[in-house]
Formats: sequence, structure tokens, C-alpha cells
Amino acid sequence: MRFIFLFFLLIFKNLDAFEYKNLKTNSGIEFWFVEDKSIPIVSVSFSFRGGSSIDIKDKNGISNLMTSLLDEGTRNLTSKQFKNEMKMNGMKLSFSTQKDKIDGVFQIISAQAKDGFDLFYEALNHPSFNEVDINRVKRQVISSIKIDESDLSTLASNKFNQHFFKDHVFSNNIKGSEESIKNITRTDLVNFHKRSFVKNNLVIGVAGNINVNKIKKYIELVFGELKDNQQNYSIKQFKALSVGQKMFEMKTPQSSVLFGHPGLERNNENFFALRIANYILGGGGFQSRLYKNIREKKGLVYSIYSYLLSYENDGVIVGGFQTRNKSVFQTIENVKNEWKKLNKRGITKSELDNAKAYFNGSFTRNFTSTLSIARLLQVVQYYELGADYFIKREKIINSLNLEKVNGIISEYFSNEKLFFMIVGEPEKK
Amino acid sequence: MKIVGILFILLFCFESKSNINFNAKSTTLENGLRLIVVENPRAPVVAQMMWYNFGSNIEQRGKSGLAHFMEHLMFKGTKKFPNSYYSDYLSKIGGSENAFTSYDYTAYYQIFPSQHLEKIIELEADRMNNLTLTKKNVEIEKKVILEERFQRIESDPSAQLDESMRTVLFPNDYYGRPIIGWKHEIENLSYDDVIDFYKENYNPNNAILILSGDIKFKNAKKLVNKYYKSIKSSQKIKLNKLNNPDLKTSTNVELSNENVKQQIWKRIYRTKSYNDSMTQSIALDLGMKILAGGTSSLLYEEFVNKKRFFNGGRFFQGLTKGNGYIYFYAIPNKKVEQSEISDLLDKFIVQAIDEGISEEKLILEKKKYYFDSIYGMDGILKPAEIIGEALTIGLSLDDIENWNDKLDKINLEMVKKELKEFSKNRNFVTGNLKN
Repeated sequence: MRFIFLFFLLIFKNLDAFEYKNLKTNSGIEFWFVEDKSIPIVSVSFSFRGGSSIDIKDKNGISNLMTSLLDEGTRNLTSKQFKNEMKMNGMKLSFSTQKDKIDGVFQIISAQAKDGFDLFYEALNHPSFNEVDINRVKRQVISSIKIDESDLSTLASNKFNQHFFKDHVFSNNIKGSEESIKNITRTDLVNFHKRSFVKNNLVIGVAGNINVNKIKKYIELVFGELKDNQQNYSIKQFKALSVGQKMFEMKTPQSSVLFGHPGLERNNENFFALRIANYILGGGGFQSRLYKNIREKKGLVYSIYSYLLSYENDGVIVGGFQTRNKSVFQTIENVKNEWKKLNKRGITKSELDNAKAYFNGSFTRNFTSTLSIARLLQVVQYYELGADYFIKREKIINSLNLEKVNGIISEYFSNEKLFFMIVGEPEKK
Repeated sequence: MKIVGILFILLFCFESKSNINFNAKSTTLENGLRLIVVENPRAPVVAQMMWYNFGSNIEQRGKSGLAHFMEHLMFKGTKKFPNSYYSDYLSKIGGSENAFTSYDYTAYYQIFPSQHLEKIIELEADRMNNLTLTKKNVEIEKKVILEERFQRIESDPSAQLDESMRTVLFPNDYYGRPIIGWKHEIENLSYDDVIDFYKENYNPNNAILILSGDIKFKNAKKLVNKYYKSIKSSQKIKLNKLNNPDLKTSTNVELSNENVKQQIWKRIYRTKSYNDSMTQSIALDLGMKILAGGTSSLLYEEFVNKKRFFNGGRFFQGLTKGNGYIYFYAIPNKKVEQSEISDLLDKFIVQAIDEGISEEKLILEKKKYYFDSIYGMDGILKPAEIIGEALTIGLSLDDIENWNDKLDKINLEMVKKELKEFSKNRNFVTGNLKN
């Protein structure tokens, strides 16, 4: 059982050398593709707009339940047979429902491509949605909701979404609740499946050892039967994000705190300026101000971070930490101060230069595996960053000067707009 | 900067046991430093991993958490490159980094654009020998580590149960002590403890440097030699190999906490290590995968699909230098007594070995092993992780590269034999997490 690998190496020495093909199948499905012969694997990253944001009222969690059932058998194969076939062919298939989309990953050993793509086709287009499997997966989702409720940081994250996004559809738990899961019927799932997987909401990135003709044929096979749907699954803007503070009591020695603040949509022209500001504030791992000032200087937390969640029409900044109950409010004050300081004084020239160097230097890491290449191709299409993004990106970063970034910081960052969700038993100040 | 508990090890025990032809090249410097290079020029990126072949296993009694504490402090700077110089430099070139500590190893890694290779090699070499620590560094970092312990263990009933189960199962050696350390012992670790630990153990004799990605062996050898050859070797770590007594009593551990909304049943078995017999360990692993390896296992079919008794459950095997261990969990559908689950599973294992383990299933698991090994080569950090972990627990580079030959030789009888032996293993502890 041993292959001899022929190393036709594809080498991405710099961004200019990174070339992808924009391909179109017979029925007109577009996808981006990089042929990479360095390893006998094909990776497909795909995404359908919608996700849990189009869940049905009183049936929250239906998108997650539907995607959890896609490896549970097809019209021809039982759940058990399907899973054995996957193993037999070295195939990986996973779907994950998110707030604004369903993300999927399919990987196959090149030599098994034919069987693999056939199975992928069956799973996506003809899942069995067998009642027995539905009931089992429902039980499993309910168990997983209960485990989430028992876990301090997951509970805090769910409470945060619920209160921060208030009336927006993003306040719902992706997994739903025990009650909403029980309301879902087989018919609901069949209809929801049709509604979710439509051509006009789909983007695809592919990388790996397969030739252009074959991959066009396989992509057509898997996605060609999907219908178009004129419904708009765009996410509504966040009109009223919460501010201030909310508490949920839980008996535990540490509290988990999550915080949120308005942000920007991914293809906003100021997105990169905000990304750089956040890198300096809380996004840059060991480099960030939150890390240096709250962990390294004061030892108040083990981990503290902030990141941008940027969607199609809007975005937020989310951060978090855990600390002993006695230091919760002290740490919150520290976070607010960092926000205030950033808003008032902005960032320094050297902070800006370092952040720019980071974003320019870190990009090639995306080229180290077939999956990371496929994912990059998919994401650039999903956010409509442009066919020339790989060349443009460096220019966008280099065009940012101190005045511009600080202008954007003073416009967007305000400690008045911060919201803190506290789960635990914090001691009063 | 993190602790590697069960999960991490388990995550890649699946990958590390397979036929992987990394074509790794290896050499050893005069001072004992082992260098391993995996050439992969696909992207202009290199992953550097420095593996020290010790973790919490060399801590003296009363000093639990010291190896992990040291790992945190390795980021505090040297004379030549003070404070956060190394981290700052890495981020300026678009790199990323982290570190982790386990029972048998401590590892540091960076991923960065290959044009900066020489500087990164220099920085890693420098902190092996020239760390400068202040008392204040140590005091503040101790607070951070206590918060880490509170985050990982004290605020997580499931982790507390695991910790307690391990102390019962391994009463006489380091696998029974938490890697992060007991709270009361972390509190008492001193500046001198840290300095002594560093001086004694951080040296080329105990280190394996792995470079993977856009790098040539020849160039790597030249640069590594340049920056490491002046570092003097001192003693190799001495492992006081302790064994645990057979357990004579039934050992059931229960943790009841009002925050727990879903009952979880767990069990950990003490088993052989891969160092005792690799073939036997692989055979056992294959058997366990058929028995309880995932959603197409016999256990899943019987208790999740047919009887609807569990909503999930599987096993994991830990890769360790001394005693091995096998970890089981099950998520009951309805509240049930711990003993009822234990009885059911004990009976099931015996029955499944006789009736359920088939040639067909074995072939399927072997295929999966094999395909996973191909996926293990897609990337630059993974090969370094797999090689590093295998070497620090005592396997050789040949063991890794020839894994598939051993796999091929395993037949159904060998698998059944290992499973039968396993079914008679009384060295286990059962845990119950409940409301």
C-alpha cells in the first residue's frame, strides 16, 4: 500500500506568482481553482449564503440540524454505508452552519476522486433525511446544547450574542433550543435543504492535484443540479447593538466576560484600517495592547483578545477574557481605558508600521496547504473582494498612513459604544 | 503559551500513527542537539519547532507545574534580545508563534516567511542559554498561570473530574499530576526553582530542532551549526522511571456540580506504552477504533443507533513515554447510574471482541490510517508536530517513516489478542460527571 509521490512542485515564491484560474462549468457555475500537484489531494471549500440567519421562526437551529444530517446517508446508502464509503475512499466532508452562511469542506485523495465526488454529489443533493437518523441527531444536538450550557465560556458567548444583537437575527443560538429542535419535522428539513442550497448563493474555491477538465466536470456534477432562487439572503444591518453591561449569575470561581462594539462590513473601504487598529488593540496575539497591558503587566488574565466579525453588510468587534471574580470590574475598567486611549490618542507610527508589516508578511501562510489555498479562494469570492485582490491587497495596506488610520479610529472607536456580558459571580467594586 | 492536556495529544495520535514518508533528514551536533529537516518548498514559509524531551515528567515532588511555568517564561527575553524582542520581531515579519507543555515534552514553534530563517534560528538558539529573568517577571507570570489554571480546571467541572481520575489511576508517577500543576504548588514555586530548572534542563542534549517547509537541509545544517555550536551541553535529563501498582479496589469517581446540565460517563485505562511494543500498540489501537473509534464503530452502532442509550461516545489513546492510557467517554441519553453504564460496557466489550471484530472492518481502519498519513503531509507544521511528538516519547525517525510496514503486518488475530488482553485490564478508573 504505498504510493510513490511524483513531486511536480508548484511553487508560490511571491504573490505575483500566485495564479488561480477562474473556471466555469457547462451550466455556468463559476469557481476559482489552483492546480497544485505537490500532494495527491483535492480540497474544495464552498459556502452558501444564509446559514442560521434564515432559520424558521420557532424552529431555530434548523440550518445546523440540516447540515448535521448530510453525512447520515443518501437515497442509495444508509448512514452506516455512507460513512464506510467515506473511509474507504479517504474522503472528508464537513458542513458547518454559521450565522450568515453554511461553510463546507470536501477533501479527497486524488486517486479516489471519481468515487469521492459521486458521494459528495449524493450527500449534497440527495440526503436521505431518514426519520430514525433525524431523531438520533436531534438527541445529539440537544445533548450538545446542554453541554454548551454547562460550559462557562460557551454559555457566556451565547448569552453575549443574545443580548448584544438584541432584536437582530444574530441574537439566536445557531444550535437552537431543546424546544425549537423538537418542533422541526422531516418536511421542514427537506424544504429547508432546498432553500439553503441554491446556485446564486454559492461560492467555491478548489486547490489540489487534479486537472482543469476533470475538476470542471466534478464541480458540475456536484452543484449543477441546484436551482436558482431569487430570494435575498443578505444580512440586515445591526441597527441597535446593546451598550453598557449585562449580568448572568453562575456559581463559578472565575467570570467569563465578552465585550462587543460596532465594526464594519468586510468590503468597506475602511475595513483594513479598522483591521490594523484592532490588531494593535487586541487582535495581534502577544503584540496587542490588551495582552501587554492586562496580561503581561498586571497578570489579571490568561487570555484576552478582540477580533473583527465582518459580514456582508455590517460588522462588529468582539472580545473576551476570563478572570477571578474579584478582578472582573477592574479588568473591565482596563478594557474601557484601552478603548478610550485608542480613541483619544490613536496609534503611533511604529505601531502602524509593525501592523502593516505583519499583514503583508503573514499572507503567504495561506499557501501552505491545499485546504488553506481553497479556503482563501472561496473567502475572496464570498466577500466580493475582487478578482485582482491578490495584487491589490498589498497596495491597500501600503496606502494606509497614520493620519488616515487615526482618523478612522477616532470616527469608529468609542468606549461609550462598548457592551459587556458578564457570566459568573463577580465581586462588587 | 498553553498546556497540552489529553485533547492535544489525542488529536494527533490519529495522525501520527500512519505511513508517513516525510523524507526527513537528520543530523546531530557535537553538543547533542538533534536537527531534523523536512523539505517542502511549496510556499516561501518555514515552520520551526524546538522540542525539549522533557515536560512535567522531570518535576520533583512538590514542584508540579514547573515545566509549564518555565515554558511561559521562555518568552521574557535575553541579554542580547531583551523583553519581547523575539515576539516583536516575529510579528513584524508576519510570523506566528506559540508553545505547549505535556507530560513528556515541551515545544516552541514559529511559522514565518523563509527569507527570515537565519534570524529566527539565531533567536531560538539564544533563548536556550541566555534567558534573563527578573523576580518581577516570575511573580506576574505566576498570577497569569493561576488564572490559566482557574480558566482550564477550576471553572470547568469536566476538567476537574479528569484531573481527579488521573490521580487515582497513576498514584505513583507523573501521569497522575496535572501538567499545569496543583494550585497550592504553583503558588509556592519560586524564582530559584525556575532558574535552577532552566539551567539544568535547557541545553542541546535535551533538544530536537525541526525545520519544515521552504528550506534545504544543507543550508539548515550550516545555520544551525553557526548559532548552536557554542552552546555547551550539560547533562541529559534523568528520568526516574516509576511504575504504578495494580489497582486492587474498584475506583469510581464522581463529580456533582449544579452547572452540569448533561451527564457524562468517563473511563481511563492504564495500558502499555508504544515504547513497550509498537506492533502490539498499533494492533490495540486498530481494535479500539473498530470497537469505539467513531460514528461507524461497534459501540456507536449498538448504543447510539440501536439501543439509543447514548447520544455519543468514543475512545482516545494517548501517546506517552511511560504508561500509555486509553480514554473513554459516553454521553447518556437519560440520567442513569454510573454502575449501570460500566456494567453494560464491560459486557459489550467482551461480546464485541468475539462477534463484532471482522476482517472487513480491520481493512477499513487500515485504509483510514493510510489515507490520514497522506493528509498529514499537506502543510508544514503538521509534519514537524508528528515527528517531534514521536521522537520525544521515545520512538525513532525510522519508526515513523516505516510505520506502514508495521501496519501491514497486523492481522485479525493480533488485534483480537490485544483486545482480549485489554478486556481483562483492571487498571482503570471510572468517572461520572453529573448535576
